[in-house]
Amino acid sequence: MSSAKDQAAAIGVSNSTAALVVRRRIRAPASELFAAWTDPAQLLQWWGPKGVVCTEAILEPRVGGAYRLGNRLASGRVVWITGEFERFVPPSELVFSWRVDGQAGLAERVTVQFMPAGDSTDVIVTHEHIADATTRSEHEMGWVGCLAGLSRLVADRTPGAQSS
Amino acid sequence: MNAISKRIAKRQRVERLDLVFSALSDPTRRALLSRLAEGPGTISELAAPFKMSLPALSRHIRVLERARLIRRRVEGRVHRCWLFPEALSDIDQWLEGYRGFWGAALNSLAEYVERKGSGGSNRRE
Repeated sequence: MSSAKDQAAAIGVSNSTAALVVRRRIRAPASELFAAWTDPAQLLQWWGPKGVVCTEAILEPRVGGAYRLGNRLASGRVVWITGEFERFVPPSELVFSWRVDGQAGLAERVTVQFMPAGDSTDVIVTHEHIADATTRSEHEMGWVGCLAGLSRLVADRTPGAQSS
Repeated sequence: MNAISKRIAKRQRVERLDLVFSALSDPTRRALLSRLAEGPGTISELAAPFKMSLPALSRHIRVLERARLIRRRVEGRVHRCWLFPEALSDIDQWLEGYRGFWGAALNSLAEYVERKGSGGSNRRE
């Protein structure tokens, strides 16, 4: 029960910036990884998970620049991801908006950091679902991870409150 | 499910997710959810820790309700609220989906640069 309260309490006070963070150490210099991420010719070769082929990559490498990535799924359908760069800092950081298939509603935001680690680089992707402009400026997204934990722990509780 | 109903279901999911994230973007509402995670409460009970008028607090409750994060039941003159955690599973799914996506994308990036580094530059299948 005390861990449930700790989890719940974390929701009220959290103000860290990460919604979803995925990281990977890659054996290459940051400059090379930054280039791979921002050169359309290279994006065509690696972008996306396995089974997804990048069909088109267009990118304006500057703040305010737009990008457009075609993703062909195994089914043959092409999904478009589009956005604009909010930050463009070679070789360290990219921040860009993210929309899938011109989705309605609020865009998401992705931050990619390339942090040197000896001969390797830690590539850190932070993906935020921005609720509104206020949230974007206040960086109040840390709760998402906490809330995911909360939903799991509440689901585990004996339902009195959940039976309705 | 045919293509059209799939598209409608997807749009509804996106809108629901937007409602949930909007609802959660406010610290008072997050605190309300924390409190409700510990058990149900009436509007007056929930309002007690906040220096806020009851109408203002009720507005927050309505936002949480619209996002389906909580449910309310009228018992005589009292409104009792419960956490409705199923709405949070939409966030879970969103997180899990993108966690998988980015994990795989970074694997692909790693393979690409490491292949380049070893002298080859073969296009990925």
